[in-house]
Amino acid sequence: MKNKLKQFTPYMLLAPALIYYIMFWIRPVIKAVFESLTDLEGSLSIANYVEVFKEPVFAEAFGNSMIFAIVSVILQFVIAFMLALLLNKKFKGSNLLLFVALIPMAVPPTAIAVLWRTAFSSYGWLNNMMQKAGLIETPIQWLTVRGKSALSFLILIDTWTVLPSVMIILLAGLQNLNKEYEEAGYVFGASRWQVIKDITIPILKPTIVTAIILRMISAMQVWLIGVMMFGFGRVPFLVERIAYYSDVVPLLDNSYKMSVTYSVVVTVIVLVSAMIYLKLNSRGRKT
Amino acid sequence: MNTKKLITRTLFLLFLVTMLIAILVPFFAFLATSLYSSSEVYQYPRTMMPRFTYDMKITWEDDMYQLSVYEDDIEDYELKIYTNSPEKLRIYLKKQYSVQLTDEEIVADFSKSKDGTAVYMQYKKDLLYNFKTFFTITSNADKAIMNSIIAAGWTILISLSIGSMAGYTIARYRIKWKKQINLSLLIVRMFPMVAVSIPMLVYLIRMGLNGTMFGLAIVYSVGNIALTAWITNSIFQGISVELEEASLVFGANKIQTFFKITLPLAFPGLVACSMYAFLAAWNDSIVALILSNSNPTLSLLIYKAIGMSGDIQLAAAGAVILVTPSLIFTFIIKNYINQLWGDVKF
Repeated sequence: MKNKLKQFTPYMLLAPALIYYIMFWIRPVIKAVFESLTDLEGSLSIANYVEVFKEPVFAEAFGNSMIFAIVSVILQFVIAFMLALLLNKKFKGSNLLLFVALIPMAVPPTAIAVLWRTAFSSYGWLNNMMQKAGLIETPIQWLTVRGKSALSFLILIDTWTVLPSVMIILLAGLQNLNKEYEEAGYVFGASRWQVIKDITIPILKPTIVTAIILRMISAMQVWLIGVMMFGFGRVPFLVERIAYYSDVVPLLDNSYKMSVTYSVVVTVIVLVSAMIYLKLNSRGRKT
Repeated sequence: MNTKKLITRTLFLLFLVTMLIAILVPFFAFLATSLYSSSEVYQYPRTMMPRFTYDMKITWEDDMYQLSVYEDDIEDYELKIYTNSPEKLRIYLKKQYSVQLTDEEIVADFSKSKDGTAVYMQYKKDLLYNFKTFFTITSNADKAIMNSIIAAGWTILISLSIGSMAGYTIARYRIKWKKQINLSLLIVRMFPMVAVSIPMLVYLIRMGLNGTMFGLAIVYSVGNIALTAWITNSIFQGISVELEEASLVFGANKIQTFFKITLPLAFPGLVACSMYAFLAAWNDSIVALILSNSNPTLSLLIYKAIGMSGDIQLAAAGAVILVTPSLIFTFIIKNYINQLWGDVKF
């Protein structure tokens, strides 16, 4: 009897988590899918999806979210990796640098947006500094940019926020790396580039893959910085549409249906792109 | 050879300094903005350092006080306002220069000019003016801070209790589907929480929890339970079972062993988990926007503040309040950052 009980202990300890996930994760998600597939009268239809896809802003929001995720992740990883390789040695002030590099990551997203508003408003500190340095004659109206340049603005802000922390993660990976592998490479006459390409990166790969995937997923859900810098609609993103239907027009007949449908679309896109990335990655490993 | 070394060293140093500047200058400029008075915000061009004092000149002409303020760029006093109402002066000084004086102080200082000589005064700027004003103009700012703390507290409580139990189990017991459990924890962490929050609104209304911080914490905990399980799993794996066995051999029972041996060793990790939970709740705005728009958290309040008013220095003050705990906690948990990103093998 006691033995039987003992066998069940682990499952009892896991039960709260399992119940929590059924109640507050699986159940809402199923409800979301169900709600998105029914019309206001409750009968099954794909009308919500048709409406979402037909929304003129949908294509733009989808494109922006994708461009933002892909460009910012590639940009951040390439630069962060180069920085990490460069900084991967003990030097005076390395601790100070790592300490400072944590700051942007620690700033909450809303505060990041306020921070860059203080920079880019027409009397903001950026114009002030450039004026003092004699680079400009009159204040530049940064916040009036539109379209792709507004999007690149947001990518740059995101890079400022995320780059240091990505660098720290890669640096930690590099420092845990067994130096002997790399040294062996050099002994056999490999160039620095070859060692990085064929030894360092493959060993670091698990860290890199996880970090990229988590970054990609959160980049696809970007919205706040866009809205706080430029307001709704200037640079539409997928999650921005959800915020739009919850914050700006919460009382339309279809607000709830639209935001539910958008949330399902976002989830599908996020999960599918994560899977595609993992697939591509594991195929690359085999060859 | 030596020159080449020197050049690389210099380049390296130059690069380091650039990086430090790129991170620190925006941050300090942002902090400085939260200390600017209204007149400084609209001064162009201005120095980045916020001013601490104002030199003012008061003269008495045409039965009115003439208030001039010393401006660095013209290196002279510039006439700003003339009035004979001390109240008007008080409001003007407060709104424009963050100088807080009472009517009596103004009369006492300013009336000396009535005999025809100019009075020169140096007034201290109230550096906390924007912070105080942030609380008075957004009438629910103190409530929003409390809301954020309460939501974070519930999130810590829920995710630590449920998550660490799961983490301990995965680390210590031989269970079926371990791999699947680990994978599902990862999927939960990747899952967009917006997709959970919108349908959760309906459930929360049904339970009478809509607009409450407990309701928000339920959603925040979804991802955080997984993260806590993930971190505690690796912590408990790192605590050697032999220590626990030794304690059992010496006659302690399982519960005593857990509280006397395992828990103290795991404590730093558990603190880190709580801080992650805190940050998740404290930094979020989309879940709060969907579930508790009329009873905002601090983060949501700042999001709204930037849309409402043009007073960037007030939003900056609010944002500084928001940043402070995040900054402190991030520095405390910096050694766990790698665990957040995980060394998962797919």
